[in-house]
Amino acid sequence: MILLYYFLVFTAIYILMGWSLYLPYRVGHLHFLPISIMAICAYFAGIASREWGWPFLLIIVVGMLIGLIISYGVSLLIGDAPCFTVVIVGLTSMFIVKTVIENWNLLGGSIGFFNIPSIRYLILWAYLLLLFMGYLMFLIEDSQIARKASVIFNDRKLAASLGIRSKKIALFFHSFSGILAGLSGILYASLIGGLTVDFFSFSIVGTLMAILFVGGYTCMWGVVLAAPLLGGIPILLPDMLIVWKQVIYGGLLIAMVCFRPQGLITRQQIIGLKNNLRRKYK
Amino acid sequence: MDWKKQLSLILSKTLLVLLLVVMFSSSVIASQDDHKVWRIDFLNSLTGSVASIGNYMSWSAQRAAQEINKSGGINGKPLIVLEHDTGDSPEKAISEMAKIIDHALVALGPVPEVCIQAAMPMAVDRGLFCMLASTSYEVAVNYFPWSISWFPPTEEVLPGVTETWAEIHESLEKVIQFTEKQAVWPQMAEFHVAGLQTAGVKEVQEVEVPKDAIMFDSLAVKALSREPDGFILTCSPEKAAKIVISLQKQGWEDTSKILIFSSADDTSLYTTAGQYLNGCYIYNYIDPNSQNDRWISFREDYKKEHGGLEPSSLSTIYYDCVYMVKEAIEETGITGERDNLAKERIKIRDYCRNVKSFEGIQQTWDMSDGVPSEKGAFLFIIQDNHKEFVCQTN
Repeated sequence: MILLYYFLVFTAIYILMGWSLYLPYRVGHLHFLPISIMAICAYFAGIASREWGWPFLLIIVVGMLIGLIISYGVSLLIGDAPCFTVVIVGLTSMFIVKTVIENWNLLGGSIGFFNIPSIRYLILWAYLLLLFMGYLMFLIEDSQIARKASVIFNDRKLAASLGIRSKKIALFFHSFSGILAGLSGILYASLIGGLTVDFFSFSIVGTLMAILFVGGYTCMWGVVLAAPLLGGIPILLPDMLIVWKQVIYGGLLIAMVCFRPQGLITRQQIIGLKNNLRRKYK
Repeated sequence: MDWKKQLSLILSKTLLVLLLVVMFSSSVIASQDDHKVWRIDFLNSLTGSVASIGNYMSWSAQRAAQEINKSGGINGKPLIVLEHDTGDSPEKAISEMAKIIDHALVALGPVPEVCIQAAMPMAVDRGLFCMLASTSYEVAVNYFPWSISWFPPTEEVLPGVTETWAEIHESLEKVIQFTEKQAVWPQMAEFHVAGLQTAGVKEVQEVEVPKDAIMFDSLAVKALSREPDGFILTCSPEKAAKIVISLQKQGWEDTSKILIFSSADDTSLYTTAGQYLNGCYIYNYIDPNSQNDRWISFREDYKKEHGGLEPSSLSTIYYDCVYMVKEAIEETGITGERDNLAKERIKIRDYCRNVKSFEGIQQTWDMSDGVPSEKGAFLFIIQDNHKEFVCQTN
């Protein structure tokens, strides 16, 4: 049972993080800032609950605000930048956050941050928040702003000629991505009860990339499918295969890029499914 | 029905039945084993970045179990050390801890700090005593009383080491410390500085060694440009080895004024730096030249099975842990029955955390509330890949 508990909460965290990478990618930005935000909010949650004794709900609200402010601020600078610039900014932010944490004794430095109080009914919190965020994602997916994002993803010049302000759209997607990342960080800190900077490193980039691109980057459901499978690999994989985790992720990524570039679930499939259901119930 | 569908239906049903049979039989076998043997679960890191350390820890724990079984087991029952590989993944550590949390009497490990952090809150929550012998006091203390520290607080040991080293070299005024920001190493570096200052060293400067550094000449040049009198290396074995080589290539001659810290005392230090290490000082928690019979036999067998290599710095800790658990079971009348699990976990915990005159393979010591006393470090000079004992520091 306890294994299932961890598996389910980890899955919720990976879905939220998968979405936080998916959203910027809707406007053609492969953005790793959400990983830095996750780290910042995880340490914030640790300090707020252990040192200041804040209630969990307040930590969630403030954590999401922190995520929003950081991502909004960065997006103001790089909202209309090309993908490569965004990648560089995201990776650099990871280095900066890592170095700050390693050298800041308040955050436990390189030893780590311990004794974060556990939260009762964390699994309930995690899935209620996931459902709420999922509902918001669903509304966004069906909105005009998502269609504008698709145009930006396919051709920025075309989007500009249609009067779509790509920076404004990117600002929205980046900001919402920051909120999701903040929430993931808080849930992670509450689940593990301790933090080390090593978790927020390149291995998590690999895991999230695999979740996004294997599941499918054209709709929100790809992440939902891939997160339990790929995020759960370290928990479910037999001992002898655990060392091959990154190879499995890498192999899957290469295979998907070669044979099914849009991932396991595509937007066309979802639209087809919706149309079928509409016809059936008419 | 189509024959293909029928076939797939039969196959899937067969698979399901087989799965159920395997699950049922393995649980029956497991429960039978629990009554016939003592089982110690070891959350070890046998794959990943610290696999080399995990492998020799595994070797020593299994050796202790073999010795105990040869001499009749514990209260007549054999002992098995069952290893669970956590790698260096926090998720895997959690999953392996979850597998043992409801039935383990006591656990060894987890080993890497990232795994300790992920899995130990569960152990504390469910009342499972874990022997965190490979980590420092500063990490283990966070999980007291459900953990034990194998080493005294770092501030009690390390200043004495660097103080002794500095006193041997009376002329030391300015020392450069190469520090890698890894787990507890920066804190260890701080205590190195405290010892140097007590010995009268006027200035200690730090040169940070990046985790991903490959070339070390620039670091050596940077350090030498500050005109120091000596160096302390607080970084991984490979990096320490390469820094020693770079320093000498850049003109440093007096190797006795280089002190290498304990975590760098691993095989790769010697295989990488070789003769460049001659004359360097190193400190550690085991003395390879000890004349204790158990140690001599341990050392010989270790060398035989590891291609002539000396036992590494942490190689004996889980050997001693297994013996400590044995002593706890014998002295407190543990039955191993499932109904008494919670009470017996506490009995083992309380015994180990306060054991007196425990005879380890190298030293005899007391534990007081989970912290060892009278456990010092050993200072050596390296000559031809061998450590020559200088003194014990407290």
